Amino acid sequence: MGLFIVVSYYSGTAEGSKEHPQSTVLISDWSICLQPGTRKTMNDSSKLLLQRIVRRIPVQMLKTTLDKWGRLTAEQRQAIDFTQSKWALTQKLQSFCEENEVTLTRLAELEMIHVIENPNQGMWYTFQLLDPEDDAQSLELSEFKQQFKCHLSELLRQVSVKIKKHTDEAVWIRIAWGGSFSKPNHLKPTYVVHHLQTPYFFVRNLTSKLKPLLSQALTLATRHQGVKEANLSGRNLASIRDLLMRQYQHVFPTKYPSPHDEEDQPVLNQHIEKEQGHVATHRRRMAREVFGDGTLPQLQSAVYKLDTKFKDPSNRTMTEREDTFKCVVKFSSTNLLESLRSCASSGIASAPVTPLLSSIPLKGRNYFVVTDNTPGPSSQRH
Amino acid sequence: MSRLNPFAKLPGLNAASVLLVENEEHFQQSLAEALVKETSVTVNVRLAKSFPLPVENDESRPRIDLVVFIINLTSELSFQSAEASLKYLEPGYFLGKVCFMVSNARSSSVPAERLDAVRRLAASLHCPLLFAEDQTQQGVTNAAERLLTILKVAAGFVPFTTSLCLSNLTRSTLPPDIDQPSFD
Repeated sequence: MGLFIVVSYYSGTAEGSKEHPQSTVLISDWSICLQPGTRKTMNDSSKLLLQRIVRRIPVQMLKTTLDKWGRLTAEQRQAIDFTQSKWALTQKLQSFCEENEVTLTRLAELEMIHVIENPNQGMWYTFQLLDPEDDAQSLELSEFKQQFKCHLSELLRQVSVKIKKHTDEAVWIRIAWGGSFSKPNHLKPTYVVHHLQTPYFFVRNLTSKLKPLLSQALTLATRHQGVKEANLSGRNLASIRDLLMRQYQHVFPTKYPSPHDEEDQPVLNQHIEKEQGHVATHRRRMAREVFGDGTLPQLQSAVYKLDTKFKDPSNRTMTEREDTFKCVVKFSSTNLLESLRSCASSGIASAPVTPLLSSIPLKGRNYFVVTDNTPGPSSQRH
Repeated sequence: MSRLNPFAKLPGLNAASVLLVENEEHFQQSLAEALVKETSVTVNVRLAKSFPLPVENDESRPRIDLVVFIINLTSELSFQSAEASLKYLEPGYFLGKVCFMVSNARSSSVPAERLDAVRRLAASLHCPLLFAEDQTQQGVTNAAERLLTILKVAAGFVPFTTSLCLSNLTRSTLPPDIDQPSFD
């Protein structure tokens, strides 16, 4: 990917032209340094990327993100007036980047910092790695980084990868994909989040064409033998991670519930008494056992793809058909688990909670295929 | 099968007890809070989802003067649950100590047959049928006021009037054109 250009310097001295020793210069980014001392102008792709980054980041966060990036000097940072319009900011930043000769990959770093701080845009999809080899548990970050970059560039030559380790042990990977003859497209990067030694990774913005490449590279780099879709998707990265790793407040079934569970009951007037209060308490307890207590991870939807025979005694024509009735049921909400829990505790959903609903937190999935053979949603959790 | 008996216990002093039975357990809460605001009489409200009532409470339960079945017309289950609960009451209750309260009758999603079915039920049992609006505070207060009128008679606080006497005046009757199709 580098271009060797031989530049010969001729010094015009009075003694006549003498050829200076040749100097070879390795050029990347197609920007040619004509003479030492002039500033490079940013090429179009860098300009576009910078424009897009400035547009995407809200002004309040722009200052902190630029500080974290660290590619601007202190005076440059002081000189930026954040009350200007975004276009003016872009121009200013462009001139600073040209001054500091910031490359495309450094700009990508800026975008990555912003995305790491605000991961909740776009949809994250989960994948699960299968069949770990014996030494998968002892995988180290440096090895993983090297292996992953190596495997991915073997599969696709034109690809730009950036790996960063976040403070909470998550490894963030930013991939800009190119084609066989085109340079990596930094405007549509894929982000991958993986916690080492766990079998899951979360992907955002990956096309189906490139999915096998990424899966192969990750599988090999993490020393597993297979990968499959984990059927869990959501906007909030921390939530789907917490759901999968079961990191929310659980309520365990006990024979003698403690009296402090009764505290949630609204204090009724002493003249109002419930005849069947224990039924409501029992229902609430079961709902909390299935879905958890306190704040629940935010899921936006649950999709059930039904491939079952139509069953309705009052509709003979449909029931008599031989083939299965295919339909898709989608539940959506701003916080799906919270709403399912309150459905179960208020009695709208019958208690005990049906396995179709309880599989969502239990198996950590929100896409199910239901067929007639299985009594509940298909596929087991490993 | 133990039924609820209207005259098996002694009444409380200056107290009236009402049992609100509702399948959804939603309207009964706000209605109960409006009912206990009454000052001249101590009103005890018991809330239930459906019959049979739990046997453990039989001892501590006061004498129930009035049983109110709250039916949400938008739900068929509500009506069926109320109908199924009727057999757990002693016949003595149907002499003016049972009342039906219906909510969401104005909703357009309610099939006309359901309201007719409720009317027929109330008329066959000679019970009053009240319509309530449960979404606003004013509606709840109005419903509570009307219930209190019937409750005071049923508990014996109104001289020279018994619940049987009142039920002759307030009982639901079927409109003569109930079997005609309606103009919706």
